[in-house]
Amino acid sequence: MDYWLQQLTIGLSLGMIYALMAIGFTLIFGVLNVVNFAHGEVYTIGAFVGLLVITAFAPPLIAVVVLVMAAGAFVGFGLERIAFKPFRRFTDEASLKSRAMRESTLMSSLAFSIVAREGLEIAYGSQYQTVPLDYLINQPVDLFGVTIVVGDIIIFALAVVMLVGLQFLLTRTRVGLSIRAVSNNPLGAKYVGINTDRTIITTFAIGSMMGAAAGLLVGLYYGAIFPSMGFIPGIKAFVAMVMGGLSSIPGAVICAIILGLSESLATAFVPSVWADMVAYGFLILTLVFFPQGLFGTGRERV
Amino acid sequence: MKRNILLAAAIAVGLGGPAYAQQTIKIGYQLPLTGNTAQYGQDFKNAAEIALEKFNKSGKIPAKVEIVYEDSRSDAKEGVAIARKFVDDKDIVAVLGDFTSTVSMASAQVYKSAGMPQLSQSASHPDYAKISEWQFRNITTQAQEGPYNADWMLSKGYKKIAVISEQSDWGQTVVSNFVDEVKAKGGEVVFSEYFNRGLADFRPIITKLARTKPDAIYTGFFYEDGAQFLKQMKQLGVTIPVHSTSAAYNQKLIELAGPDAEGVFLTATFLPSNPAPHVQEFVKEWKAKTGQDEPGQFPAQAYDAVNIVLAAITRAYPDVTRKSVRDELAKTKDFPGVTGDTTFDANREPAKKLTKTIVKDGQFVAIEN
Repeated sequence: MDYWLQQLTIGLSLGMIYALMAIGFTLIFGVLNVVNFAHGEVYTIGAFVGLLVITAFAPPLIAVVVLVMAAGAFVGFGLERIAFKPFRRFTDEASLKSRAMRESTLMSSLAFSIVAREGLEIAYGSQYQTVPLDYLINQPVDLFGVTIVVGDIIIFALAVVMLVGLQFLLTRTRVGLSIRAVSNNPLGAKYVGINTDRTIITTFAIGSMMGAAAGLLVGLYYGAIFPSMGFIPGIKAFVAMVMGGLSSIPGAVICAIILGLSESLATAFVPSVWADMVAYGFLILTLVFFPQGLFGTGRERV
Repeated sequence: MKRNILLAAAIAVGLGGPAYAQQTIKIGYQLPLTGNTAQYGQDFKNAAEIALEKFNKSGKIPAKVEIVYEDSRSDAKEGVAIARKFVDDKDIVAVLGDFTSTVSMASAQVYKSAGMPQLSQSASHPDYAKISEWQFRNITTQAQEGPYNADWMLSKGYKKIAVISEQSDWGQTVVSNFVDEVKAKGGEVVFSEYFNRGLADFRPIITKLARTKPDAIYTGFFYEDGAQFLKQMKQLGVTIPVHSTSAAYNQKLIELAGPDAEGVFLTATFLPSNPAPHVQEFVKEWKAKTGQDEPGQFPAQAYDAVNIVLAAITRAYPDVTRKSVRDELAKTKDFPGVTGDTTFDANREPAKKLTKTIVKDGQFVAIEN
C-alpha cells in the first residue's frame, strides 16, 4: 500500500514540475497561436542566472527567485524583440493575416533556442554545474508514511500562485483584458485601439518570468543545472499543452499532472525506459478521441 | 644593399626549404566537443594536448606530430562521416576515439575497410575490438570489471543483488557480465532494469527497487546520473549499499552529490593520489592547463591513449604508415601509463589492474575490501 502511495506522490510531484513549465508556455501560445520553441532555454537561462546569483552573493532563496524572475522578464523581452517582432513589421492586413509570417517565428524561436543553448555550452561546458548544496530544496519530509521533499511544497505553492495570479490577471485587469482581446482576434484588437505590440511584449515578459522561475526551482530541486536541461521539460510542457487543448492554462496544468502520474505509475509496471511511451501514448489517444484536446473548446483562448 | 642580402637569404632558404622541411605526421582524434557529452570530449582534448606538447618538445623523432580534432557530438552518423574524412587524409596514420562504444563501433567499420589503426580510450563494449585487427582500446572492459565487481560483492556476503544500468551498448555489458558471474557463483539477482541516460527523476525506479529488498545495488552509470541516483536514494531514505563501475569514478560525482556520495564503492584504474612521478606530473600539468581539480579517469585514459599511439609512431619511425603503426601498436607491452601498465593481448584488449575504492570524507580512497 505504502508503495503505491509513494509512487503516486512521486507522480504528483513530477506532474507539478511539468505544470510549472507548461503555464508560461501555454500563455504565450494562447496569445500568438504559435509555439515558442525558446521557452525551454528561458527556463535554462533562469536556472543559470539563479546559480550565478547564488555563487556570487549567496542571498536568501526568495531573493534569488525574485531576481531570476526579473531576469526572466528581461530575457522574454529580448526574445520577443529578436525572434518575434521582426515578423510583425508589416502592418497591412494581408501580412497580419498571413500564416506564413506568423509561423516563421517557429524557426526564429528555434534559432534563438539553439544559439542560447550552444552559447551556454561554450561559456560553461555541457556538464552539470556544481550547485551549492545548501541551496538544494531536496530535504526529505515524512508525510503520513510517504516521503516528499521541501521542494515539492515550494513547487506546489508556486504553481498555485502562478495559476491563481494568472487567472486574476487575465480576468480582472485591463492588461489581462487586452491579452485576451489580442489572443481572440489580433486584427480586431488592433482596430479597436489596443496596443497589440505592447500586449504581446507583456505576455512574453510574464510567460518568460514564469519559465525562468520554473527553471531555477527545478534546477535546485534536482541539483542539476546544465545547458540542455530545458529540452525534456519543454517537450513535456508541449505535450501537456496539446493534451489540454492548446490554449487552456488550467487544462495544461491538469494534463501535466496526468503526465507525471502516468510516468511514475508506468515505471511501477514496466521498465522505466518505456515510461515515456506510456505518457506519449496518452497524447495519441487524446488526439484521436478528443482532437480539440481534453479541455479545449476550440474558440476561446487563454 | 641590406634588402638584397635579405632577399638572397630568403631565396636560399626558399630553395633549400623542401629538402629540410620537417615531416609532419598527423593523428586524427574523433570526440564529442559539443552536445550532451561534450564535457568528456573537452577533457580528452585537454589531456591529448598535454601529451602531444610534451612529445613534440622531447624530440624523440625528428618530425612533428599533429592531432586533428573532429567533433562527433557522440552521434554515430557524425562519427562515420568523420571516419571517412580521416581515411581520405593521406597524412593521418592513426585515429583516436570515439568516446562512446556506439560511435566507436560505427566508425570502426570505416577504419576496418580502409585499414586505419583506431585506438579508443573509452569504448568498452566487448565487440568493439573484435571488429577487425585495426581496433585497439586501452580501457578495461566490463568483461573484466563485471566479474571482478561480482566477486567483490559476493565476498562481502551479499546474496540478493539489484542491478540497474543505463540503456546503451555499454550499459548492457555492465549488466550481462556482472549477472553471469553472480549467477555462476550462487548469488541471486532480484532486480534488473535499465534507464535512459540523463533521466531526471530516479525516484520511481528507486522505490520499485527498494521493494525487492536487495542486500546491495550494482549500478552502471556515469557521474551525472550517479549523482542524481545517490541524492534521490538519500531523499527517499533508502540505505542499501551501492557499488559501481569505474565509469562513475570522477571527482564531480562527489561535488554534485556531496555527502550523499559517501560510502559508495567502485573500481578504478587511475587514482590521482598515486605517488608515482609520472602520475603526479600529469596531475600537475592537468591542473595548470585546465584550472580544474584532479583529473578523473577519462582524461587519464585519453592521456595514455595518445602516448601509446605516439610511442608506436616513434618505434615505427621513419617508416610511419598506417600499417606500420598498427603493427607497432599491437606490440605495445607494459606501457607505463598513468592508468597502469598497458599490454595489448592477441585480441588487442588491454589487461589492467583494478583498484577497489570507496568514497570517504569527500575523497576516493583505495581499500582492501
